[in-house]
Amino acid sequence: MASRDVVTYKTPLSRLLNVVIVIFLAFYLVWTILPLFLMFVSSFKDLLAAFQLPPVGAFSQIGIFFDFEPTTKHYYNLFYNLGFSTYLMNSIIAAGGSAVVSVVLGSMAAYSLSRVDFRGKGDLFFWIISTRMAPVVAVLVPLYAIFRGFDLIGTRTGLILAYTTFNLPFAIWILKGFFDNVPFAIEEASMVDGSTRFQAFRAILPLVAPGIGAFLVLCVLFAWNDFLFASIIGSGGAKTLPPATRELVQPQNIQWGSIMAAGVVTTVPMMFLGLLIRRYLVTGLTMGAVRE
Amino acid sequence: MASVTITNVWKYYGKTVAVKDLNIHCEDGEFVSVLGPSGCGKSSTLRMLAGLEHISAGDIHFGDMRVNELEPKDRDIAMVFENYALYPHKTVYENMANPLRLRGSSEDLIEKRIAFAAEMLEIEHLLQRKPMELSGGQKQRTAIGRAIVREPKLFLFDEPIAHLDAKLRARMRGELKLMQRRLGTTMIYVTHDQLEAMSMADRIAVMHNGVLQQLGTPQEIYNHPVNEWVAGFVGEPPMNFFDCELVEEGGRFVLVHPAFRQMVSEAQSALLRGALRGTSVRMGIRPDQISIGGKSTVESVAGTIKVTEPLGGDTLVNVDLKNAQLLVKTHPDFSGAMGETCHLTFDTGRWHFFASDNGIAYF
Repeated sequence: MASRDVVTYKTPLSRLLNVVIVIFLAFYLVWTILPLFLMFVSSFKDLLAAFQLPPVGAFSQIGIFFDFEPTTKHYYNLFYNLGFSTYLMNSIIAAGGSAVVSVVLGSMAAYSLSRVDFRGKGDLFFWIISTRMAPVVAVLVPLYAIFRGFDLIGTRTGLILAYTTFNLPFAIWILKGFFDNVPFAIEEASMVDGSTRFQAFRAILPLVAPGIGAFLVLCVLFAWNDFLFASIIGSGGAKTLPPATRELVQPQNIQWGSIMAAGVVTTVPMMFLGLLIRRYLVTGLTMGAVRE
Repeated sequence: MASVTITNVWKYYGKTVAVKDLNIHCEDGEFVSVLGPSGCGKSSTLRMLAGLEHISAGDIHFGDMRVNELEPKDRDIAMVFENYALYPHKTVYENMANPLRLRGSSEDLIEKRIAFAAEMLEIEHLLQRKPMELSGGQKQRTAIGRAIVREPKLFLFDEPIAHLDAKLRARMRGELKLMQRRLGTTMIYVTHDQLEAMSMADRIAVMHNGVLQQLGTPQEIYNHPVNEWVAGFVGEPPMNFFDCELVEEGGRFVLVHPAFRQMVSEAQSALLRGALRGTSVRMGIRPDQISIGGKSTVESVAGTIKVTEPLGGDTLVNVDLKNAQLLVKTHPDFSGAMGETCHLTFDTGRWHFFASDNGIAYF
């Protein structure tokens, strides 16, 4: 196999470009990290300490940001007085549940779309994708009416269903691409070995693991970050973290400390999920098993 | 083990016909090779036998059992794919164990069978490796191992050694033949390489454009091709063909070509007399059925040496006739320079005549 390294030669222009890139990245890093950092630090600060700011332009007094007594009272308040453990659980169940349902149904649908030829397949596939084209707001009112009819408003099941409606076409679309890349011969070999069509489908699932991993992340992220569905379909009994955090902003009192703590509680699990699943996002699992 | 009978089988893909009215019977324990160029329908045939393609029309029987509607898993066959089709995330051992596991065999039996197959294929030291860490030859052995552990009724091999390098391919030919003889399992082996078919098979089915051309032993195929296409496809280097006229002289035929006149023997004339339509024929003669020399004789044909290709064991000589070319295979110490005149003698007992319109052999 030929080397994949691209041979490059340094020119004055490319050196200048490198410097520009580094400067840009430094700014970008600050831009991205700073809000997260402030949120994290503020969540451990007393309200008074949180609003202590150095005078404008006085960079020597920047240490004032770190001059505080760490306190966990906002987290305590969040979980013991405001019932965030329930909201966290609602978020986990709604996001995880819709991800699992979408991945199970989506992989089967994607497999059949990838493998079987049937009449109207192209139209069907386009129709599935097109359901993703409408903005969420457009379907919210009819969806609300339907869900109310089935008594699904304010239930976790209702939320899972609502997220699945939006995640499933996405799952099918992503996973079909991955199934298309798996050679037919592997599942044919499996069927000749003695498996049913369904067992053959399961036999090639490990080969689309990168796709399933990628999809799981995107699907959980969509549900986890969602505000619209959560505040309308989930209102009442199945409040998730974003609307619950929103409720901390009250007319007479904005609970900044709790808001920051809620922000940390919402962000940290998603970061760990990203780290955990990164391994599966690396493609190239089929390399060497079949001859291309 | 079982015999295989393919009766009036057709295969359509949409409106394209891939296999036309195919009839092949394969005895129990026989090694049948399906030979043809790419797109001739040989792989479709194999996939219909495996149950991976629907049969558009006709019947396939294993023994007395009609298998048209049986799923692959119920046909008790083992197939080796052209691209190996190993499970990339499983070790060699697990790859080979898979068909046994799916049938619920005990671990003891699995271990025993794999040990036997691995020893036969000389891959014992690779059992814990994954396919990615294997060479082409090793992958192919693993794929064969996966096929033989189950002791199926029928082996289906789809160009299993086409992607190996020439040396390994030559060795695998012998090994596969030996393996099939030792196991005694019926084998259908699809290939486009006539050398593989000739060297391994008990009988060869030659296919072209979805139509079975000839089914016979390698000797029959080589020595008595039924038509011009088979004659030209089988044999390396390929047969020489000439458009000729037949003239009757004194009760015998004379073959007339702008570059030569050759007498046709009495026996051959008798064969022609009943069947001949018109006066033109195609004459085919293999490169090793022509001898080349410096001296002219009564029957010899004069030509000009165009180029010589020494192959070590033989030498191929391209000769220009008046308005035709031909290839001669001769001994390695033949010394003829480019542009020299040479004299060719045809082994007229072994040449073939084909009808010029439809290519069917007179003899």
